[in-house]
Amino acid sequence: MKMNLTALSLLLVAAVSYGLYQLSYEVQSLEKNLAALSKSISDNRETIRILKAEWAYQNRPDVLQSLATKHLPLLLIAPYQVADLEQVPENVIALSELVAKNVPLPRKKPRRTYRSPKNKPLGSYTLATFSKAGGVQ
Amino acid sequence: MSELTWLSKSRRPRLNLKNPLNVHNFDDHNIALRLEGSAKETLEQGRNRLVMAGVVFAFCFVILAGRLVGLALSGESDRAQAFPEKSDQRPVTYADGMRAEIRDRNGVLLATTLKTASLFAEPKNVMDRQELASKLSRVLEDVSEAMILSKLSSAKNFVWLKRNLTPTQQYRINALGIPGLHFREEEKRFYPMGALVSHLLGYTDLDNLGIAGVEKYFNGQLSGSKETAATDLNLSIDVRIQHAMRDELTRHMSMFRAIGAAGMVMDVQSGEILAMVSLPDFDPNRPNDFSGDSKFNKVSLGVYEMGSTFKTFTTAMALDAGTIGLHGGYDATKPIKKAGFLIRDDHPKKRWLSVPEIYMYSSNIGTAKMAIDVGPKKHKAFLSKLGLLEKPSIELPEVGAPILPPRWNSLETMTISYGHGLSVSPLQLSAGISAVVNGGAYINPTVIRRDPAVGLVARQVIKTKTSNTMRKLMRLVVEQGTGKKAAANGYLVGGKTGTAEKVEGGRYKRSAVVTSFVSAFPMNNPRYVVLAVMDEPKGNAKTHGFRGAGWTAAPIVGRLIARIGPILGVMPVEEESETIKRAMFVPINSKGKKVASF
Repeated sequence: MKMNLTALSLLLVAAVSYGLYQLSYEVQSLEKNLAALSKSISDNRETIRILKAEWAYQNRPDVLQSLATKHLPLLLIAPYQVADLEQVPENVIALSELVAKNVPLPRKKPRRTYRSPKNKPLGSYTLATFSKAGGVQ
Repeated sequence: MSELTWLSKSRRPRLNLKNPLNVHNFDDHNIALRLEGSAKETLEQGRNRLVMAGVVFAFCFVILAGRLVGLALSGESDRAQAFPEKSDQRPVTYADGMRAEIRDRNGVLLATTLKTASLFAEPKNVMDRQELASKLSRVLEDVSEAMILSKLSSAKNFVWLKRNLTPTQQYRINALGIPGLHFREEEKRFYPMGALVSHLLGYTDLDNLGIAGVEKYFNGQLSGSKETAATDLNLSIDVRIQHAMRDELTRHMSMFRAIGAAGMVMDVQSGEILAMVSLPDFDPNRPNDFSGDSKFNKVSLGVYEMGSTFKTFTTAMALDAGTIGLHGGYDATKPIKKAGFLIRDDHPKKRWLSVPEIYMYSSNIGTAKMAIDVGPKKHKAFLSKLGLLEKPSIELPEVGAPILPPRWNSLETMTISYGHGLSVSPLQLSAGISAVVNGGAYINPTVIRRDPAVGLVARQVIKTKTSNTMRKLMRLVVEQGTGKKAAANGYLVGGKTGTAEKVEGGRYKRSAVVTSFVSAFPMNNPRYVVLAVMDEPKGNAKTHGFRGAGWTAAPIVGRLIARIGPILGVMPVEEESETIKRAMFVPINSKGKKVASF
C-alpha cells in the first residue's frame, strides 16, 4: 500500500512536471510567435503607410490631368454634357434583330419596375459576359 | 543512543503505542526506545502536529497539481471571459508615436510621416573608397562621386552621405554589400501633393514640429502628447478643386505676366474652404529651397485694397438700411471733388444711374453717394458686422489684420464704399460676400471639415430680401456688366469685378494694380463663393492691352466654375429658360436713354 502511494505520487509528480514543462515551452513558443507577429504587424503598418503615400503621390491631380489629356479625348465638360440618370434615354432594341445577328443581348437598365421579357427568343439568348480568353462570350 | 542507527526496515525503532503496558517487557528486542510519562505525551503531540501539517500541505499540493494538469490538458481558463471575442468597445487606435496624418475632405492624403533610412559611413571601416564612391553615385543620382569621396576622406568617424533615402535606394545600397555603410532610421514628414496645398498645410522643421500653416496651428493634436494620442486631421479642402484653382491661376498668371495670384472657393452654407491657393507657392517637402516671398499666404495673411468688389457691401448696406430702393438712383454726371480728392468713374456714363446700373457699371460716384446717404457710423458698423474690420478667426497661424483708416469720416466712407482706404484679406472678402449671398447669415470660415450634423453658428447680418436682391445684381454684372467673361454657361455665375491701384509708400501706383473677381454660383441658390485675385497683371494683345478685373480676373472664375461645377455636383440649368429669367429678373429702370435721345 505504501509502495503504491509512493509510486503514485512519483507518477503524479512526473506527470505534473511534464505538463508544466510542456506548458512552459508552449508559452515560450507562443511568446516568440507573438513577438514575430507584432514585428510583422508593425512592418506591414509601415509598408501600408509608404504605399498610401505612394498612392497619393501617383494620384496627384496634375499627374491625372496630364495622363487624361494624353490618353483620353476629354476636354472641359460643357453644361449640356451633364445629365442625371433619369435623363439617359433607354436603349430599346427589338429582340428579333439581335437573334438574327447572334448578338449578345444587353440587359435593360436596372430598375425597380423591371420585368424580364415574356416572350424570350428561342435559340441563342445569352447575356454578355467576358470570357477568360479576353473576348465577349 | 547507539541503537538509533539505520537498520533494516523491520528493525527500525518504532513506537509501540498499541501496547503501552508492555513497556517493561525487556525481552522485546524490537523496542529500542523506551518512553515514559511526560516525554511520551510530548512526542505524541508533536507527531499529531506533523500529521496535521502534512495533511494541509498535501491538500494544497493536490489542488495545485490538479489545477496545473487541468490547465495543461484543456488550455483554457478564465481568459475567454476576460477577453470576449466580440466586444462593444471600438478598437483602440494604434499609436505609433508618429506625427498624425492630414487628409482632405475626401480622405486624400495630404501629409504623412514616413520612416526613412538615412545613410552614413564610417570612413575608417571603408576598404576601397574609390570603389564605394563610384558604386554609390550610381545608386544616388543626385550625389556626385567627387562629393562622396571628399566626405569619405574626412577625418571624422561618422559622415552622413544622404538623408532620407527612398526604400528602393535603400534596397539597392544594401544590395551593393559594401562594408562601412550603415543606415539610421529617421522620421520624415512627407507631402504627397507637393506644392498643391502648400500654404494651407505649412511645413515642419527637422524635429517634425509644425512651424507654419495647419501643421503649426494643430501641432498639439498632430504630434500628440503623453496623455493624448496623435489624431488625424481632416481639412475642408478638396484637392480636385484646389488643383483646378491652382491650374487656372498659374495659367492666367503667366498669360498676364502677373507677379502673384490668389484664389479661394468657399461653401456659403457651411463656411468650409474648399480651395485656397496663393501663388507663387512652395514645396513643403523642401521648404528651405524657397524664398520667404513664396511662403507668404496671400489669401489669409495678405491684406489688399479690394477695389470695386466692395461696392457689393455698399449696395447691400444701402438696400438693407432702406436709404434707397432698387428703383432709386444717383446722378453720376460729374466727378465728386472732396478735400483735394477727385472721385471719378472708370467706365463713365455721365448721366443719372439707377442702383442696378451703378452696381453693374461699377460707378464710383454713384456708390460714394449711396454710402454718404447711409452715413459713416452705420457704414463702419455694417462692415464690422461682416467681419471686415477685425482679424478673422481661422485655424491658421498666418492671419492678417485689416488696415483701417486712421479716422472714419465722410471722405473715408466715400472711398471705402468703392474699396479704397480699407485693406482686407481675400479671406475676409470671401466670407463677407458669402454672407451677402447666402441669405444674409455670416458664417465663420474654416479649413476643417465640418460635420453637417453639428449645428452652425450663423449670425444674421442682412435681411434675406436684401440678399435675394444682391444675388440678382451680381448676376446682372456677369450678364450685362463688367464681368461678362466670368459667365460659365449653365452655372448662373454672378459676381463683381474689382480693380485697385496698389499703394506703395503711401501713394497710389498707377502702373500696378490688384484685380479681383468675387463671384458666387448658382445665383438662384448660391452654394459656393469663388474668388480670384491677380497681383500686378499686365494687359496683352488678347485683352487689347486692358488689365482690369473684367479682363484678367473674371475669365479665371468663368473657366474655374465650368471645371468645378460637375465635381461639386451643381446641376447646370438652362440660363435662357423662362423660370430662370424670371427668377433672375431685376428692373434696371434706366432714365439715361431718354436723356441721350434728346
